[in-house]
Amino acid sequence: MKQGVVVKQGLRQSMSWVHTWAGLLVCWLLLLVFMAGTAAYYRHEITFWMKPELHQAANAPTRIATVDAAALAVRGLQQRAPDASGWLIELPHERNPLITASWTNPPKKGMSREERRNALRQQNFVLDPMTGLETAAPRDSRGGEFLYRLHFDLYYMSALWGRWIIGIAAMSMLVAIISGVITHKRIFKDFFTFRPKKGQRSWLDAHNATAVLALPFHLMITYTGLVTLMFMYMPSPTKALYGDDQNTMFGEVFLNADRSQPARVAAPLVDIRPMLQQAERAWGQAPTRIVVSHPNDAGAQVQLVRPSGQQLSNIEPSMTFNGASGALIASTDAPSTTLAARGAIYGLHVAHFADPLLRALFFICGLAGCAMVATGALLWGVKERQKYAKIVARGGKVGFGVRLVDALNIGAIAGLPVAFAVYFWSNRLLPPDAAARSNLEANCFFAAWAACAILAQIRPTRGMWRFQLTLGALLLGGLPLLNAFTTDTHLGVTLFAGPALRAVAGFDLVTLALGLLLGWAAWWLGRTSRKQAAAGARSARGAAAASSTAQEAA
Amino acid sequence: MSILILSGLALAFSGFATNSIVMDRHYADIHGRGAEPGPALKRRMRLLGWLGLALSFAACIGASGWHIGPVLWCGLLSIAAWALTLLLQYAPRKAIQGAWIGIPAALTAIALLIGR
Repeated sequence: MKQGVVVKQGLRQSMSWVHTWAGLLVCWLLLLVFMAGTAAYYRHEITFWMKPELHQAANAPTRIATVDAAALAVRGLQQRAPDASGWLIELPHERNPLITASWTNPPKKGMSREERRNALRQQNFVLDPMTGLETAAPRDSRGGEFLYRLHFDLYYMSALWGRWIIGIAAMSMLVAIISGVITHKRIFKDFFTFRPKKGQRSWLDAHNATAVLALPFHLMITYTGLVTLMFMYMPSPTKALYGDDQNTMFGEVFLNADRSQPARVAAPLVDIRPMLQQAERAWGQAPTRIVVSHPNDAGAQVQLVRPSGQQLSNIEPSMTFNGASGALIASTDAPSTTLAARGAIYGLHVAHFADPLLRALFFICGLAGCAMVATGALLWGVKERQKYAKIVARGGKVGFGVRLVDALNIGAIAGLPVAFAVYFWSNRLLPPDAAARSNLEANCFFAAWAACAILAQIRPTRGMWRFQLTLGALLLGGLPLLNAFTTDTHLGVTLFAGPALRAVAGFDLVTLALGLLLGWAAWWLGRTSRKQAAAGARSARGAAAASSTAQEAA
Repeated sequence: MSILILSGLALAFSGFATNSIVMDRHYADIHGRGAEPGPALKRRMRLLGWLGLALSFAACIGASGWHIGPVLWCGLLSIAAWALTLLLQYAPRKAIQGAWIGIPAALTAIALLIGR
């Protein structure tokens, strides 16, 4: 009996240690991952905001029929890239008001990855959904795609390295969540507890409230995040069955994956209109995406894809046609149970199924995740600082670890919002025709973040907290104003325009709200330090008075 | 469907609130220091609270089906719990009043679920 109690205490204490270190070592990277991932729930909307040249065209009162839109896109592609290795056409739907077309060329020898990427960025055009005519070329920006990739690939390194680093961080996160639940002694008694203005206790309450009350989301998002890259993190099963030939496995397991080879015999692509009509009849809904592989080749294939609808899975139903004859080759049926399970797990992470309400809930839970990581990181500093209370009172300094963590906290928690805001500002302020413009925007993001992090290392003080929070508040909250000065689609227009411009209005309003939140944090911090200063002065006066009375008495 | 989702949110809030007002800390916050809920009251409120949460789940399933419904429910639970946490801190007595919203929400949800 007694021994059981000892073991129980031991478990909780050891889990507390695991929770602290699994969390602390990766928390700043996790904050970046959480913030970028949360933003990526609205990546199409962010991309749209960052290409203001398209706003007018998207705000069309009527749209041409889907079939005609597809035919026009194919005509444009035939003119520009008849020999491409693949075409991709996105048709207008709820989250995409425009018709976009892009193509990929067969890789040339001796092309670096960077060159290929840059070439790919040029190979697309956008059609006006009302007239079917080509729109003005939008500025070169990766928009929300940058944040989406940043979420799991990082930047300035190969995606492979980025994914391994992210995977280690995500695994630590999973360990931190589970050990956190075990170590939380009063998880049910403190369920709804938040006690403000109580120092360390308040931070702990805030950490618990943001973590426990959204625990299903946090557990789900961490676990499913690992599953999205499972073939990379756990390669052994594939290796055992397929050896080094992973592509064969992908081809056999994921039927949607296109592994077709060109026949290298010229054959013109047939009219795709009948295919779209056939798909629409079968589904009762128009396809939203068309993937053509090896156009104008005898081995050409046309794949029509539609959203999966009221299902979690990210596997989208599709129909594949022979591009040379127009005959239906295959249509994806219900996937196997295993594949459906993976699809649902993957789908939960990327939330393609989410309607506006559910998407907003995912976004809010993502923000709660940011708050959980941030409060956890702050909590370590608050706890550790107490060990130095007496030394600091005597005019001494806190230890190196506390100073380092404080500085990293400022650079991440207050600095990252600044970096995000600067990314959006750079989108509007950089000249529209600058060379490699989208890379410049990304550089602005990291330059701003680096500046914040370095400033924080030089002076990790409350003043620095307030400065960076205020800066973030002004930059984020100022985005609607910037948008008003640099485009014609400001809040005064977008709030009263059609549904296509709701994304722009939503972006402006959400950044304004986040800016106000940061501003409130800066104000609150200022008030607290003023109060503490006043209290300190009072107690100093009190001590002086006491000592003088003591002297008089003597 | 949005009315069903709204009643699901109200039921989640009410279910949590009903559970919370007989928790020792919040009971003392509402009724004064040292006050403790009787065991019968505790049992009844807990039962009602869990019933509210279960009905909220049913409303979400009714609104979004078995695939999306549970995901929606988790999101609504988080929102309701955060709102209640703030309410219990800044206006604890309002939690009792807030819990009553479960009655009309339950009636609405049941009517909509049966009427389908």
